[in-house]
Amino acid sequence: MDYRKLVELIPITNRETLSHKLVDFILTSKNDEKMPSQLANTILHHWQQNVLESESGLAALLEAALLLEPDKTISAFGELQMTSIAEQIKATLAS
Amino acid sequence: MVKFGIEFVPREPHWKIMYYAIQAERGGFNNLWITDHFNNRNVYVALTTAAIYTNKMTFGPGVTNPYMVNPVFTAQAVATLNELAPGRVVLGMGAGDKTTLDTVGVEMEKPLTAIQEAIDIIRKMTSGETVAYQGEVFKTAGAKFLFKPRGKIPVYVGAQGPKMLALAGKIGDGVLINASHPRDVEYAVSCVKEGVNVAGKRFDEVDVAAYTSFAVHEDIQKANKAAARVVSSIVAGSPPQLLEKHGIDVKKAEEIKDALKANDWGRAFSGVTPEMISAFSVCGTPDMCIERIAELLKSGISQFVVGSPIGANVREAINLISEKILPHFKA
Repeated sequence: MDYRKLVELIPITNRETLSHKLVDFILTSKNDEKMPSQLANTILHHWQQNVLESESGLAALLEAALLLEPDKTISAFGELQMTSIAEQIKATLAS
Repeated sequence: MVKFGIEFVPREPHWKIMYYAIQAERGGFNNLWITDHFNNRNVYVALTTAAIYTNKMTFGPGVTNPYMVNPVFTAQAVATLNELAPGRVVLGMGAGDKTTLDTVGVEMEKPLTAIQEAIDIIRKMTSGETVAYQGEVFKTAGAKFLFKPRGKIPVYVGAQGPKMLALAGKIGDGVLINASHPRDVEYAVSCVKEGVNVAGKRFDEVDVAAYTSFAVHEDIQKANKAAARVVSSIVAGSPPQLLEKHGIDVKKAEEIKDALKANDWGRAFSGVTPEMISAFSVCGTPDMCIERIAELLKSGISQFVVGSPIGANVREAINLISEKILPHFKA
């Protein structure tokens, strides 16, 4: 899945709210073992620079959230009225 | 001005702890403490990531003990960390937890002497000295680093009982008082002062911290529920005299202990009463926590440590502390 391309589809006005939701999913997830260490370091690097809401930061969060909590992540897109992106993710995950 | 510390337990993976550490530093915390237990992830690996991902906070083990790790290795670990983050490394050293030491067959021999000797060895090693030490518990025969350490590392002594508290005041650059109730902290500070006086130091030369069990939430029920997880263990491990001092029914404490032994968490946590939470934690809404911290500060402490569980949702709790509690004391 090209997470960067998915992020480009997310309206800028939704990015902050979405990033907060994704961070919460990741931090409260019990599926820690599914987090690749390189991806964790990428997220921490973005957080350290305070740029988690940038396109590259959001792409890393989205990848992690879909690995750790796919159902919650897809639901979040629906809640934020981004159903077409949610469908696109679902279809990619199913293929 | 009072400093704020925060404790993390590396039972969580490093990336969660570092997310919270970066958040805490940005939110105004001054000190980061990582617990050291053999059954969690390694404290020095966690502290190494802290050296990389934080910029201002001091950080160190809170606390390690000299029985599980020989003092020369503790000296080596903190001296190496001090190369990664010069001037930001501190060392918390305590006698350890007897139950944990028993699990690995390590005897808690002469804790007061062991702490004193271990700190003596660590200070000498981190000063670059060759250490020939003939103590009652620890001995070295010309131990010396093959690298040049980067200077003094403040040593904090973790303490709860009166003798260890006095020793902590006497030999420590700082003291980590393991208590959350104003009465307990006030008594602990008086013991620390005895040691400070014996050493001929001024009280304000020693950074005295209340290392508390802490839980904050806008909803008091949620704060209590979070605190109950940690308070149940504290209650189960407390001697009857301490429980009675706080008006806690010893029989109820025994019931919690039995439930924990049986891994019946639901029964253990639901047995925790408001009196227990008040005695062994700083817990409640931000305003309630502010009130309790203000009470604790009257005892003369110079650092307040937000210890586990912090809150039901750690990220939200750190935000609450940074936005609603710290400004009250740092304005």
